Amino acid sequence: MSQNHIAPNLVLLGVNHTTAPIEVRERLAIAPARLPDATRALAHQPGIREALILSTCNRVELLTVQEAGQASGTLNFFYEYLGISSADLQPHLYELREREVVRHLFRVASSLDSMVVGEPQILGQVKEAYATGREVGAVSTTLEGLLQRAFTVAKRVRSETQIGSSSVSIASVAVDLARKIFDTLEGKTVLLVGAGKMSELAARHLIQQGATSILVANRTETRAEQIAQQFNGSVIPFDQLYQQASRADIVITSTGAPQKLFERSHGQQFLQRRRNRPMFFIDIAVPRDVDPGVNDVEGCFVYDIDDLQQVTQANLADRAREAEAAEAIVTREVDKYLERLQSLNAVPAIQSLQQYAEAIRQAELRRSQAKLATLTPEQREAVEALTRSLTAKFLHHPLTGIRRAAREGDAQALDDLHRLYTGQSNSEPDSSKKI
Amino acid sequence: MSLLWLRVAVLLYGIASLAVLPAALYDRPRWRHVAIPATTAAIFFHFVSLIEMLNAAHHRLPVDTHETQSFLGLVLALAFLFIHARYKTVSLGIFVLPICFLLGLVPAFHPGEEATTFPHLHTGWVFLHVALLLAAYAALFLSLLASLLYLIQERRLKSKLPALSWLPPLETTDQIALKTLLFGLPCMTAGLLIGSVLAQQTIGASYFLDPKVLLSFAMWLAYIGMIFIRRHSGLRGRRAVYLSSFVFLVVLAVWAANQLSVVHRFTAP
Repeated sequence: MSQNHIAPNLVLLGVNHTTAPIEVRERLAIAPARLPDATRALAHQPGIREALILSTCNRVELLTVQEAGQASGTLNFFYEYLGISSADLQPHLYELREREVVRHLFRVASSLDSMVVGEPQILGQVKEAYATGREVGAVSTTLEGLLQRAFTVAKRVRSETQIGSSSVSIASVAVDLARKIFDTLEGKTVLLVGAGKMSELAARHLIQQGATSILVANRTETRAEQIAQQFNGSVIPFDQLYQQASRADIVITSTGAPQKLFERSHGQQFLQRRRNRPMFFIDIAVPRDVDPGVNDVEGCFVYDIDDLQQVTQANLADRAREAEAAEAIVTREVDKYLERLQSLNAVPAIQSLQQYAEAIRQAELRRSQAKLATLTPEQREAVEALTRSLTAKFLHHPLTGIRRAAREGDAQALDDLHRLYTGQSNSEPDSSKKI
Repeated sequence: MSLLWLRVAVLLYGIASLAVLPAALYDRPRWRHVAIPATTAAIFFHFVSLIEMLNAAHHRLPVDTHETQSFLGLVLALAFLFIHARYKTVSLGIFVLPICFLLGLVPAFHPGEEATTFPHLHTGWVFLHVALLLAAYAALFLSLLASLLYLIQERRLKSKLPALSWLPPLETTDQIALKTLLFGLPCMTAGLLIGSVLAQQTIGASYFLDPKVLLSFAMWLAYIGMIFIRRHSGLRGRRAVYLSSFVFLVVLAVWAANQLSVVHRFTAP
């Protein structure tokens, strides 16, 4: 059967992180400010009825509903609007149609096609693309229904699987661990010892989660001041590190010191000063800054870079397991969506057949009007009921056949049934009204 | 009629005990919405049954072991609801709710038949004495439970094993352990004081030589000592569990001492 009867002329062209290197993706990327104009331009290409552009750091995809039997200008949009040559684009480009488009979109919205499976940002990005498409009038019935379904599927995947529940970056794992120790990070003090990118990232995550006070200790005081300023924190002179460190609930170390900075005895001192309130050491330095013996001190928790990476790997493995369950949900939802579309395809044929039969009934009643003139109102009512009942009974089997053909996606049978009973092809204009 | 209400309460405790498992272990809000209302309803029916039971027996006091058990179950369930409201965790329910279920099960199907032999006791004060001490026992039990859960989570975090997601953060567990202890202290103190005044009035000085009574005061001292150590040194983890376990053993000894007590007996078979 023609696929047009399943999902009408849905076509998706694009590149993503698996097909194209960053050099190609950055040439195609469309900034959010340019997105409305770009979507409008795509929608105005010949042969395109509806359009939507999804542009993120990992993908640029053009989703379109195309006019039947017309060549579309989607590729031209790539060449002309985005200014990339065919030779540069074609090796990385993928084209999906109909069912595969539906499946792909559901997977993208559910974060199954992301570089980090389960990351939550992609759904927001799809929603933004959809909002832009609606705003410029490029999204209409077909894409509206498809996108709404994609959001529902993504929500289902989130709520029925644990795909996004575990952290998969070092910084977010550190935050998760901190939250297992401290109920809330609000009001907690973070001490940054040394100045590394990773430790800054971890500190930023902790601040986002509510940590309020940041202390910075660095051998180079000017660098410490820079970081402290960045986080609105304060500087601890490096020679006072051991006196002041017990103020911190969370210590992030990333110095390049060749020997350990914190020994077990330091841990004991800190805990004593803190009256055994827990202290969390995140040691991102290699070689390590915190002696593993500190972890043996009751109330001290030490995680080095390997420990954090192990948690990350375990969480990634968890996500991969959850992704399998999510894929099953997506497959079921694609089937349900297409089945629903197919049943919608039956509606015009059913309506047309019913109108055709009703027109015949009315015509026959009009023809017999003179003969029926002598009937009493009750007898007229009985004739009305009889003809209606006969029409309904005659239509029962063809209508059941149409519904079944639509459900099974059998366009040929759908067309045959329609032609058999109305004398017209399904694709031809409805002639029943002429009777 | 009181037995009917108690059986309804026990059934509801049973439902709550089952519902709390997915609610806590798999963080399923739907099951949390079953566990909490079921516990609330169980407490209501349990309360009604207890009042009816005590009125019917004409003593208005939980006198026999079954009644006391049932009362302790009610106090524990109330404490669980309070902890849930304050700390937004149902994890303790995994342990507390089945205990409430079991504590109510025996009295619901095999009610006690003992009656008080002291009909002229100041019923209201004795009731308060019993209620306050049971609240203190419940508080100590919850504190010990929270300390154990703290220890389990702490061990996992230190061993770099995945933290148990159903357990609250260490800081929360520690707060539950400490706050329940602090709640238990005035209950125990007031309970013992009321008991002492009543004993002085009805029995006289000989009451204070009874092993049950002596152990009760030892228990109070141990309780005070434990709170002092915990607050002063911020004791947590393994040592806190040892300390709580020791005081809990003293409490069990006090409970068991009823069998040895000559004067602390108010029931006639």
